[in-house]
Amino acid sequence: MQQIFDDIRGDFRYDHELNGCLNCGICTATCPSAQFYDYSPREIVQLLWTENVEQIYDAMQEKIWACAQCMTCAARCPFKNSPGGLVAIMREVAIKHEMQSAKDVLRPFGRVMLKLITTGNQLSPDMIQPDHFPDWGPNIQKVEGDLRILRKAIPVKTLQTVETAWEVSLKTSVEMYTIWEMTGVLKSLELMDENLFDVIEDFIDEKREDYEDWLEEQEEEDDE
Amino acid sequence: MSEQTPGNHNQNGEGAGAGTMKPGFHNTDGQGIAGHGSFFQATDLSKEDAIKATDWVRKHVDRRTVDLGDRMDDVREHMYELEKDGQIIIHRIEDQHEPISVNTLFGWEKKVPTKQLWHHKSCGQCGNIPGYPTSLLWFMNKFGFEPGKDYLDETDQTSCTAWNYHGSGIGNVESLAAVFLRNFHQSYVSGKQHGHELGHFFPLVHCGTSFGNYKEIRKYLVESAELREKVTKILGKLGRLVDGKLVIPEEIIHYSEWVHVMRNRIASELQTIDVSNIRTTSHVACHYYKMVHEDAVYDPSVLGGNRTAIITSTAQALGAQVIDYSTWYDCCGFGFRHIISEREFTRSFTMDRKIRVAREEANADVMLANDTGCVTTMDKNQWIGKAHNQNFQIPIMAEVQFAALACGADPFKIVQLQWHASPCEDLVEKMGISWDEAKKTFQEYLKEVEAGNIEYLYNPELAYGGKV
Ligand code: SF4
Ligand code: SF4
Repeated sequence: MQQIFDDIRGDFRYDHELNGCLNCGICTATCPSAQFYDYSPREIVQLLWTENVEQIYDAMQEKIWACAQCMTCAARCPFKNSPGGLVAIMREVAIKHEMQSAKDVLRPFGRVMLKLITTGNQLSPDMIQPDHFPDWGPNIQKVEGDLRILRKAIPVKTLQTVETAWEVSLKTSVEMYTIWEMTGVLKSLELMDENLFDVIEDFIDEKREDYEDWLEEQEEEDDE
Repeated sequence: MSEQTPGNHNQNGEGAGAGTMKPGFHNTDGQGIAGHGSFFQATDLSKEDAIKATDWVRKHVDRRTVDLGDRMDDVREHMYELEKDGQIIIHRIEDQHEPISVNTLFGWEKKVPTKQLWHHKSCGQCGNIPGYPTSLLWFMNKFGFEPGKDYLDETDQTSCTAWNYHGSGIGNVESLAAVFLRNFHQSYVSGKQHGHELGHFFPLVHCGTSFGNYKEIRKYLVESAELREKVTKILGKLGRLVDGKLVIPEEIIHYSEWVHVMRNRIASELQTIDVSNIRTTSHVACHYYKMVHEDAVYDPSVLGGNRTAIITSTAQALGAQVIDYSTWYDCCGFGFRHIISEREFTRSFTMDRKIRVAREEANADVMLANDTGCVTTMDKNQWIGKAHNQNFQIPIMAEVQFAALACGADPFKIVQLQWHASPCEDLVEKMGISWDEAKKTFQEYLKEVEAGNIEYLYNPELAYGGKV
C-alpha cells in the first residue's frame, strides 16, 4: 500500500497537480461525476494531501474510475490543483499494480482499446451502428444506405474508410507499434487483459510483416 | 514544519491566491476526510464578510478576465531557451503562414497561422461527424487555398491517443509525448515531398482533446530533461529527429482558433444566408479551455471576456443571436470511457445539464460545439431521453458546420448532417434551406458514388504523398 502511494507521489506530475488544499469544495461543486457517483475530487485531493494511505488505496479500488477527466476542477481550483490530473496518475498506478478495479473497469473498453492500439483510431464508422449503441436510437444516420457508399460520399479521400475514422498509412501504424513497445504500453495491457494482449500482438505482427513485404516490393520496383 | 505538512508540498503556500490556508494547517488526524470532520470549523463570517468572500470566488473563479496577472510561466519562453541551447528545433509560425494574433486568457499573444496548414484529424470526429473536417476544408477552398500548397490532408498521422489515455489509464506521459512528437515531426517535414521547405505546413489540430493533451505534454517536455531524453531515443529509432533534435511547434493551434480569426472574412466574403433569426448556444470543449487554460483564446468583446471567445465569436460574426445559459461551464458528459461503458452517466448528464437547460433557458435553435466528443455525446444521447419523459431535443453541430451552412454549403454533401442523430431538419429549414430537396439531391448523388463518380474537395492522390 505504501508502495502504491509512493508511486503516485513519485510521478513527476504530482507536484504540478497538488499544491495544497483549501478544502473549499469548489472542485466538487463543479464536478460532473460528483453529481452522479459517490465521488468527490475534494476528497481525492484531501486523501493525497493528508497521505491517508489506506483510504487512498480504497479510493483506487473504485472511486477514481468515476472521474470524467473533464478538468473542470483544474480550471476552477483557486489553489491551482488538478484533482483530475491526480486521478490520471492514480489510474496509471492502479494499472501498474494490477488492481482489480482497473481490470474490471477496462473489460468493457476492450473493443475500443483493440481498435486504438492496432489502428491508432478510436471510434470507427463500423462501430457507430445501432446494434452497438441501441440507446442511440434506430436512426443514428439520417440517410438510409450502405455504410461504405455513405463514406465514399464524403468528399475527403482520407475519410472514405469504414474500419478506421480516417485512413492511416501502414508505415504510420508500424511506427506507432514501436512507440507502444518502447514506452511499456503493451506491457500494461498484458497486465490488464492477457487475451486482449495476445490478439493485439498477433495483429501487430501481421501488420509488421505486411510492412516488410511492402518495403521489399518498393525496393524491387526501384531496381527495375 | 515538515511533520505538519505531509509530503512537504507547498510549505510556504506559494502560488496560492487570497484565502490561502495557513501552511501546515490541515487535517492530520485522518478523520472526516469525506465530509466535515472534527477539524472543520465554521467560519462564522459576518454577512458582509461572507459576501466579500463570495465575491472573491466570483471574481477569481467564476469569472475569467483576460488578465489574471502573472501566475504562470510562459512555456514558449522556455522553448526559445532550449532552442538556443541547441536542444530542440521550434517549428515556427512565419510570415508565410499569414498569422493573425489573438489574446489568450493570461493576456499572452498567440499567433494563429491562417495558411499552409497540416490537417491533424480527430479519431472521433472523422468516424462520426465527418462534416466538420469537410466544412473546414470547404472553407479553405472557398478562400482560394490551393491543396498541397496552402493545406495538406494526408494519411501519415496517428491520433493523439489521449482519448484512450483519459478513458482507461493505459498509456503514459512518455507514449503521449512520443506520439505528439512523431505526428508533429511529420507535419514539419510533410512539405518536402510536395516541393516545399521544411516547416512549410503548420499543424492545425482538429480535436479538443488532442489540443489539450498536446499542450500539456509540450509543457512536460519543456520542463523535464529526463522525458526529453527518453523520447529522443524513441524518435531517433523512428527516424524522426531533425539534426538529432526534437521538433516542437511554436504554438498548438486548434481548428476553432482558425475559424475564430477567419470569422469576419467568412461573414463578409462568403456568407449568403441571413441567420439573425437563429438562436445559438455554445458548448466549448473542456479540453479546449480547461486544460492549460492560460493558452485558450479570450476576447473582451465576446461575452465580456468571461467566456472563451471560441465559437461564440463566430456566431456573433455571422449575425446569429447568441444566448448564454447557466450550465455553460459544465462538460457534456463524454467522460472518455463513460460514453462507451458508463452510458447512464453520459446520457443523464448530457440531458439534464446541457440539453434541457439549453432548451428551457435559452430556447436554442442549435447548440454549437468545437470538439468531436461533445458533439457525439450531445447528438447521440437525445433519443433515449424519451424513455424518461425527457422530450427535449436540440440540433448539435460544430460551429464550422453552422458557418458553412450560412455560407451556402450543401447540408449533405459538404456539411454531412446525415450523420447527426439530433434534429437538424428544423434548423436547416429555419435558415431557408430546403432539407427535403437537399436530401433528394444527395440520394441522387449516392447513385453516382456507387457508379464510381465521386466528387472530391481536393485531388485524392495528395493524401498519399502524390502531386497535385
Ligand atoms: S476531471 Fe474528474 S474530478 Fe475533475 S471535475 Fe472532471 S470529473 Fe470531476
Ligand atoms: S477546489 Fe482546490 S482547494 Fe478547493 S477543495 Fe478542490 S482541490 Fe481543494
